Amino acid sequence: MKNELYSGVEYLNPGHVGCPGCGATIAMKLALRALGEHTMVVIPASCWAIIAGNYPQSSLKVPILHTAFATTGAVASGLRAALDLRGDRETTIVGWAGDGGTFDIGFQALSAAAERCEDFIYVCYDNEAYMNTGVQRSSSTPWGARTMTTPGDKWKRTDKKNIVEIMAAHRIPYAATASIAYPEDFERKMRKAASIRSGLRFIHLYSSCPTGWGFAPENSVKVARLAVQTKAFPLYEVEDGIEYTINEAGNKPVKEYLRTQNRFRHLSDGDIAQIQEHVDQEWTRLLRKAEED
Amino acid sequence: MSNNLNAFPVSLFFPKSSTSTVANKTGTWSFMRPCYLEKTAPCSVHCPCGQDIPRIEMLVSRGQIIAAWRTILAENPLPGTCGRVCFHPCEKACNRGEFDEAVSINAIERYVDDTARAASISAPVAKGRAKGKRIAIAGSGPAGLAASYFLAMLGYECDIFEAAGEPGGVLRYGIPAYRLPNDVLDREIARIRALGVDIHCSRAVDPAFIGSAKKTYDAVFLSCGNGASMKLGVPGEELAVDGLAFLRRAKNGDTAQAMPVKPHGSAIVVGGGNSAIDVARSLLRQGVSPTIVYRRRREDMPAFEHEVARALEEGVRIVELRAPLALARVDGGIELKVRKMRPAGIGADGRMRVVPDGDATEVISAEALYSAIGAAHAESWMVPPDDARVARMSHSAAFWDAPAGIPVLYGGDPVNEDESVADAIASGKQAAIALDAFFEKGAASVNAEIARCTVGDGTSLSMEIYLGGPRAKRTGRVVSFKDINTDYFSPSEKTRGASVPPERAIASFEEIESPLDAAGATLQAERCFNCGICNDCDNCRTYCPEAAVAALRAGRQDDWSTEAGPAREISSDYCKGCGICVAECPRCAMIIEEQQS
Amino acid sequence: MREVLEGSQAVAEAVRLARVKVVSAYPITPQTHIVEELAKYCADGSLDGKFICVESEHSAMASVIGAESGGMRSFTASSSHGLALMHEMLHWAAGARLPIVMAEVNRALGPGWNLWVDQTDSLSQRDTGWLQFYCSDGQEVMDTTLLAYRLAEILNLPVMVVMDAFFLSHTYEPVDVPSQAEADAFLPPYEPKFLMDTGNPYALNEVAPINVYMEMRRSIQQAMEAAPGIYQAIEDEFYRQFGRRYGLVEPYRCEDADIVFVMVGTAAATARVAIDSLRAEGEKVGLLRLRMFRPFPAAAFRAGLANAKKVVVLDRNCSFGVGGIFAQELKAALYGPAAPKLYSYVAGMGGRDVTVDTIRTLYAMTRDQDEPAHESLWFGVHEEMLRS
Repeated sequence: MKNELYSGVEYLNPGHVGCPGCGATIAMKLALRALGEHTMVVIPASCWAIIAGNYPQSSLKVPILHTAFATTGAVASGLRAALDLRGDRETTIVGWAGDGGTFDIGFQALSAAAERCEDFIYVCYDNEAYMNTGVQRSSSTPWGARTMTTPGDKWKRTDKKNIVEIMAAHRIPYAATASIAYPEDFERKMRKAASIRSGLRFIHLYSSCPTGWGFAPENSVKVARLAVQTKAFPLYEVEDGIEYTINEAGNKPVKEYLRTQNRFRHLSDGDIAQIQEHVDQEWTRLLRKAEED
Repeated sequence: MSNNLNAFPVSLFFPKSSTSTVANKTGTWSFMRPCYLEKTAPCSVHCPCGQDIPRIEMLVSRGQIIAAWRTILAENPLPGTCGRVCFHPCEKACNRGEFDEAVSINAIERYVDDTARAASISAPVAKGRAKGKRIAIAGSGPAGLAASYFLAMLGYECDIFEAAGEPGGVLRYGIPAYRLPNDVLDREIARIRALGVDIHCSRAVDPAFIGSAKKTYDAVFLSCGNGASMKLGVPGEELAVDGLAFLRRAKNGDTAQAMPVKPHGSAIVVGGGNSAIDVARSLLRQGVSPTIVYRRRREDMPAFEHEVARALEEGVRIVELRAPLALARVDGGIELKVRKMRPAGIGADGRMRVVPDGDATEVISAEALYSAIGAAHAESWMVPPDDARVARMSHSAAFWDAPAGIPVLYGGDPVNEDESVADAIASGKQAAIALDAFFEKGAASVNAEIARCTVGDGTSLSMEIYLGGPRAKRTGRVVSFKDINTDYFSPSEKTRGASVPPERAIASFEEIESPLDAAGATLQAERCFNCGICNDCDNCRTYCPEAAVAALRAGRQDDWSTEAGPAREISSDYCKGCGICVAECPRCAMIIEEQQS
Repeated sequence: MREVLEGSQAVAEAVRLARVKVVSAYPITPQTHIVEELAKYCADGSLDGKFICVESEHSAMASVIGAESGGMRSFTASSSHGLALMHEMLHWAAGARLPIVMAEVNRALGPGWNLWVDQTDSLSQRDTGWLQFYCSDGQEVMDTTLLAYRLAEILNLPVMVVMDAFFLSHTYEPVDVPSQAEADAFLPPYEPKFLMDTGNPYALNEVAPINVYMEMRRSIQQAMEAAPGIYQAIEDEFYRQFGRRYGLVEPYRCEDADIVFVMVGTAAATARVAIDSLRAEGEKVGLLRLRMFRPFPAAAFRAGLANAKKVVVLDRNCSFGVGGIFAQELKAALYGPAAPKLYSYVAGMGGRDVTVDTIRTLYAMTRDQDEPAHESLWFGVHEEMLRS
C-alpha cells in the first residue's frame, strides 16, 4: 500500500463524547484533515452540537459557531459576509448539519443559501434520523426503517428524500455524495468543494450510526461500505446541477446491507425485494444522467 | 473618540470555549482494548526456509529492495537460486490465491536478488561473535552451504568438504543452466565464503574422517545429496545412459553452451521427477527430440508442475502409464518394451497406484535412452543409523552421542521427504540451530529451542526468531483467508517475468525467464495481503473516531523506515473500545481483548 | 442637515451613518420601506456593506448573528409575524451576547391579518434579553438607532428600536440628519470583544451545563442592570454633541400632576395635545412617556411618579389572561405601600386610533373613579360585535 501517511495536525481532539464507533466523528476528523486550519465550522443542534464539547471545552481546534437547529444556511451566510468584509477570503466556512438540520427543519435556510449562491460548504452528515434527540425519523430515514417515531408496524413507508437531486435542482456549482468508508474520495471532494467559490457546495455524507441503527460499533465503516457496494448509497458528483460523474458503486444485493442493522430486522423478503427494486431504479436513473453529455 | 469600552466594564460570561476536551479520559468508557499483535502468514509456514514473506513483499512494494534482500538473507542464503528453481509451496498456501491468484512470490524473490546484485552490496550478512567451535560439513550442496551460512551467522567456524571439483552439488551439477546459471550460484557461494567458510573441493569424506573428526572439530554435519542414480531394474538396463551423469556433463564448463554430449535425433527419457524433466529439456537444447516415458499419469509425476508444463510447451512428449519391461539394442538405437498400466487407486504412500492394464505391451524406439528414475544415497554412512538415540527432527537428524565422540548431524536428501533445494536449506538451518542449542544449553534443550523458533504451526524455522529479532514478537497464529478484510483489495493479475517463447528457449541453455521489471515487481508485491503484519496502511488511525491512534512514524512513503512492527500507539486514555481499527485492519495484524485491570 | 423624512427613512439613514456592514432582512409590511431603502443604499454604495436577501425573518436574525459573530456591525428590521417568527433567534442573539440592533415596527398579530399599530408583537419579546426603546417621532428614531449601537456594543446585548406602524414608519417629519463625520465622532467603528477567528479559535454558544448556565444568565441580567447608567452616560455624550436627549422616561408637565399618563409611541404625542387642553381647563395632569422598556426603568418611574396620586397606563396591547403589559410591569415596579393607584386601559389595538378625545375620556374616567379596577379595562370596544 503506497499511501502518504497523514502527518498534519489532527483537528479533532480526543476526549469527546461521541458514541463508540460514531461515523460522524470519523467524518469530521477526515473533513478537517482535508481543509486544514483556515476553516470555521457552523454547527446547529445535532449530535455534533454535543460532540463539540461542553463549556469550557471544545473538541475541535478550529473555530466553531454553534447555532439553532434551523439556521445553518443562514448563519453561515452571515458569517461569510463578515469574513469577506474584513478581507478574509482564505478561510473556508463549513456548515456541518445532520439530516434533521438539512432535510427538514433546516431545509429552508439551505435552499435559500443555495439560491443566493452563497460561498460556503454545506456538509450534511447523514445518520438517517434525529439521532441526538433519541432516534426519531427524519425525511432522510429510508423506506423500511424502524425509528422511535416509526415503531413497530408503522415502520417508515415513505422514501428517503433525494437531497442531492434537490440541491442539483438549485444548480449549485457542486454537489456530491461521500462516505466515511471511502476516506480518500471524501477528502478529495472536500478539497474540491473548498476550491469552488462561485456558489454553494453541498456534500451529502453517509455517516453510520451504531447506536441508532442497531449494530456493533466495530462495523461502522463496514456498514458504510456496504451501503455503497449495494448501491443503497452510490458515490457520485454533480457539477452545476447537470453534469453527473459516478465515482463508486458495487454489485452486492441490498439485502447484504439491510441485514447488518436492527432497524431493518423486521423486513420480509418481499419488503427487501421492494427495496432492491427501488435501488435498481434509482441506479438506472443515475446511470442515465451520468451518460448524458 | 473611541468606544472607551474600558470605561464601562460589563459582565460578559457566556459560552465561549477553547479548552481542549483532552482532559476527558474517555478510555474509562470501555474495558475492550485493541492492540497490535502481528501474526504468522501461511506462506511463511509453508516455505521450508521459513522466510518472512509478507515483510519481503511489503518492502518490495515500497521500493526498499535492499531491505527486502536482507530480510530474505536472514533466513535463506540462496535467494538467487531459490528465485529460479524453488517449487514455491508458499504460493500454494498464499491467501491471495483464494481471492484471485497467489502472489508471485517466487518471481519477486528473483527480482530482489537480481536488483541487489546490480547494486553490488557487499557483506550484507554479519558473522556472529566467535564462539570458538568448529564444525565439519560433508557436501557443498544447498544443505551444506546453508548449514555453514547459518553456523557462521551464529559464530561458528566451518569447513565444507566437497568430493567434486567445484562446490554447489546438485545446484552446479544437476540443475541445467537454463534454470540456474553457474554465475548466479557462484555469487551466492562467494557470499558464504565471505563469512569465513572454507570449502575444500575434491576432498571426499569417509567414515575414517568422521571417526577422527573429533581432533579438529566439535561436530560434523553430513549433507551429501542423493547422487547415486537408481537402476532401472530391468533386462538391458546397462544400455541406458545415466541421466544424472548426462546433466553433469551438460552443465560442465563455464558457459551454458558447452555441450560435450553427442547429439542424437531422438531419445527416450525414463522417469517422472525433476531430473527426468531436466534431462529431456537439456536434450531438446541439443537438438534432440525427447519422449518421456512414465509409468503413472502425467499428474502423478513428482516433478514440479510448472516444469512439466514448460517441458510440454517446449516440445517434450510425455507418454504416460507405461512401465519399462526391457531394453534392447537395435539398429540405430534402443528399443524399449513397456507394459501398459492403468490407475488403481491411491496407495498407502498417498500416490496413485498403477497396475498392468491386461497383458498389453508396446515398443517405443529412439536413438538413445536416458534413465532418470530417482537417486538414493551413495553410501550407507550418509544416512542416519537405525539407532534409538538418533533424534529425528523435521528436516534433520542428530546423533548427539555418536560413536565419533562428537555430535553427528544429518540433513538434505537423506532425511528430507521432499528432496528440494528449499528443504535442503531447511536442513542446514535446523542443524545449525540444533547445534547452537546443544552447545549453549545442552541436548535436552534442543527440542524446545527448535519449537521456539518454528514458524506458525509448521516445521520451518526462523533464524530471526531464534535470535530474538522483531519477528519473535509475532504470534504463531496463522492468518487464514477469512481473516482478511477483502474490501481493501481489487482483483488483479498475477504475472511473473516475461518468458522467452519456447521455440527460442530451446535454442540455447540461456535462462528462459526474464525477471520482473521494477514497475512489475512493485505491482506484484502490492498484491500481497501482508497477512498478519502491519504495512502502515493507516486504516486504524484513519478510522479511529477518537483520534486515539498515534503514528510513531509519518510522512512520505519513500521516507518510511524499514523498522519492523506497527509504529502505532493506541491511547488507553481515550480508546472507547469500538473495535473499528481491528475490523478495518485488512490483514489481521490486530486483536481486541478485554483489559485486565 | 434638516430633511423631511419618513420614519422608515430615518431608520435607514441612521443605519447608513452607523456604518453598518451587513444588513439582512425579510420584508413585512410596514417595515418594507426600511428594507428597501437599505437595499438601495447598498446597491448605490452609499452603504458600504452587504445586503443579504434572506428567505424568512428567522433566517434574517440568524444571518445577522452569523455576521456579528464574524465581527461586523449588522442590522435587521421586522414587525409583527416576522418578529414572532424570529423569536427563537432573539433569545439566541441575547444569549450569544451580540450587539445587534433591530428596528421593530409595532404591528398587530393575526389572525386576523392586521397591518396597523399594536404593541403585542414587541412586548411578546420582552423576556428575550433584548433592550427595547420605544420612539414617538422620526428624530427620535434616528437618534435612538445611533445610541443603540453605542449601547449595544458596550453591553454586548442586542437592542430593539421600536416604532408605531404607519403612524411613525410611514409618516414624514422634519429630521435633523447628522453628517457622516458627526456620526463617526459619536459612534466609533465596532471593536468586537470576541469574534470567529482562525488565529484565535474558540467555540461559541455551545453546551452550557448545569454548573454554568445560571451564571451565564445572571451575566445577562447584570449587563441589563448596568444598562440604564451606561445609557445615561452615553446620552450625555450625545447631548453634548447634538443637543438632544430623551432619557429613560420622558416627562411632560408632570411636576405637579395628580394624574400621570404613562404610554409609549405616537399616542404620547397625541396625549401631549390632550394634556395641554386639560391643563388649560385646570386639570393637573401630566405624561411620563416610557422610552426604555427593557431594562424596565423602575427607579426612574418611582422617582417620576413619586408625587402622582393616580397613574393611567395606556396599553395598545394585551397579554391575554392578564391584561395590558405596560400596566403589569409598572404595577410591579411601583409595588409597595406608597404606590399610586394605577388605572390600566387597553385601547388602540390593531390600528384603532387613539385620539385626543380618547385621552380626555380616559382622564375623566380615571379622575372620577376612586379605586381602579384590578384588571385592565378595554376602551372603545364595540360590544355589540361580541354579542352576535
